[in-house]
Amino acid sequence: MNADTATQLKAEVEEFLYREARYADEFLLDEWEGLLTDDFHYWVPAGRIEGDPAKQLAYLNDNRARVATRIRQLQTGKRLSQLPTSPMRRILSNIEVQQEAADQISVKANFVIYELAAQSTGELRVWPGQAQYQLRRLQGELRMAAKWIELVTAQAGQRNLTFLI
Amino acid sequence: MNVRLLSCETVGMEIDYRYLVRADRIHGSLLHDRDIFAEEMQQIFVRGWAFVGHESETKNNGDWVKRQLGTESVIMVRGDDGEINVLSNRCAHRGTALCWEHSGNDSFFQCTYHNWRFGLDGSLRAVPFPDGYSKPKEDLGLDRAGQVANYRGFVFANLDGSACSIDEHLGDAGFELIDRLCEMSPTGKIDLSKGWIGHRVQSNWKLWPESDSDGYHVGFVHASMSASTDTYYDDVAVGGEAVKSSRAVDYGRGHLELDWRPSYKQELSWLGVTRERVRNYCSALAKRVGDEVAQQLLWDGPPHAFLFPNLFLGETVIAIVEPVSPTEMIHRHTAVQFEGVDDAFNERLLRQTEAAVGPASFITSDDAITAERIQAGVSGTATSWAATSRGWVDLSRGMHREVMDEGGVRSSDASDETTNRGFWSRYLEIMSQE
Repeated sequence: MNADTATQLKAEVEEFLYREARYADEFLLDEWEGLLTDDFHYWVPAGRIEGDPAKQLAYLNDNRARVATRIRQLQTGKRLSQLPTSPMRRILSNIEVQQEAADQISVKANFVIYELAAQSTGELRVWPGQAQYQLRRLQGELRMAAKWIELVTAQAGQRNLTFLI
Repeated sequence: MNVRLLSCETVGMEIDYRYLVRADRIHGSLLHDRDIFAEEMQQIFVRGWAFVGHESETKNNGDWVKRQLGTESVIMVRGDDGEINVLSNRCAHRGTALCWEHSGNDSFFQCTYHNWRFGLDGSLRAVPFPDGYSKPKEDLGLDRAGQVANYRGFVFANLDGSACSIDEHLGDAGFELIDRLCEMSPTGKIDLSKGWIGHRVQSNWKLWPESDSDGYHVGFVHASMSASTDTYYDDVAVGGEAVKSSRAVDYGRGHLELDWRPSYKQELSWLGVTRERVRNYCSALAKRVGDEVAQQLLWDGPPHAFLFPNLFLGETVIAIVEPVSPTEMIHRHTAVQFEGVDDAFNERLLRQTEAAVGPASFITSDDAITAERIQAGVSGTATSWAATSRGWVDLSRGMHREVMDEGGVRSSDASDETTNRGFWSRYLEIMSQE
């Protein structure tokens, strides 16, 4: 891959990640779901990202069907823990892009999410961590095949985490 | 009114728990007052029995886990003799915490301040420059729990040793509820070593025993779950009062159950599968207990119960209620794993736990919000507004229709507050004793 192609790929990946982040921040759930592959895997372990996710007890370990249920639950209008939804914004940085195969790209990025717990105590909650993405090119478009989140506070327990992290 | 409700105004007065805890209601100050919280930590978590951990977390000698009993930090450790000890996580010298990670394996505990070294039984083994001490070493060991009991792997401790026996504390019902869980395993043994996940909630700790054993809220707080996925809670706890046969049960001594068994519409509802999907498990279970008993167990499932003061048996989930402050607590859970089943079965239990319990779950995240909203509601300090009901929390639902059997077990419709009253009645006994 020459320098121009790498720069172009990085720009394309960044544009995708920023869009994914905005959809999540703004609870544009259908749009967010539209970014996923059919085999999407969503994982927030209770420690580091290591080992086999299937064998661990995690905060969240969704296959594609379960993430659909998660979105459906948010869309019922009765999900107390997101009623009203949390005003939130996330900052992505330190984006590293690795082309694994012709249509397979892995990405690591740091993030900080600022969330206002508007449904309960009204406190500002800060969620720092690293996101690891697997992106796949389908019919020319990038899609998200996996999103794994390693929270800085993973071992310390969490307050409600019912938005899309 | 000869009663103390507010920390700042009433220093030196006795707290009148009989005034605050009534048969049909409790006072809101029980859910936020600092002095009440301090007394609870002493009366309930130091002078009484509480759940500490499970022996499967400390399989090898030297394995330890750090736990919180009320506000006391303790270490549960398997000693050199294979016995489980519950020690104070506090150096006997200057009070430094000895363990700060969640778990580990060590052959001794060494303080990082002056390198005092303690054995796995808490005894003082070595101090640097010992000539400076004239006291006997035996007087400088770690505090040990006065009583420790292990029933089918569930380890309970009474820190100051002054409580009744574990037999009296758990009573027949407490043992039986643990039996009903363990008997679901093909070997009769469960494993709780997948680690504990903390759900941090800005509420008083006592709102969780209430929530975990409250059958009234399910159709409302968890309406979004029912609307988005099929769950067995739809059968056992949601819907019109008349059609429900599930029971809210108060066994006495604060041990409670929401007994779903009469409402299950098919076997294995509690696992959300049909027999075809878990054939190996079913036959392994039948091999140990026989077809007839297995059939009943697979229908009934593990209990949904609360053992006073801090242990929740939530079908295939176990949770510890961990007080932090009057307005902060941690609901700490793990997944039950059975012995003698294939990996796929235990992985199913892990996924089921993730769906049900914890910060990102489909169920208890909405309980957390509810607890925080209750906390916001009850934390006002006015003892009485114009209406006399202000300041009180009503728990009278179903008082007129609950029944008591010959053994003193009280029960009523699953939506009735019999379980909540059972918790507070035990609370009152403990908090008002000398």
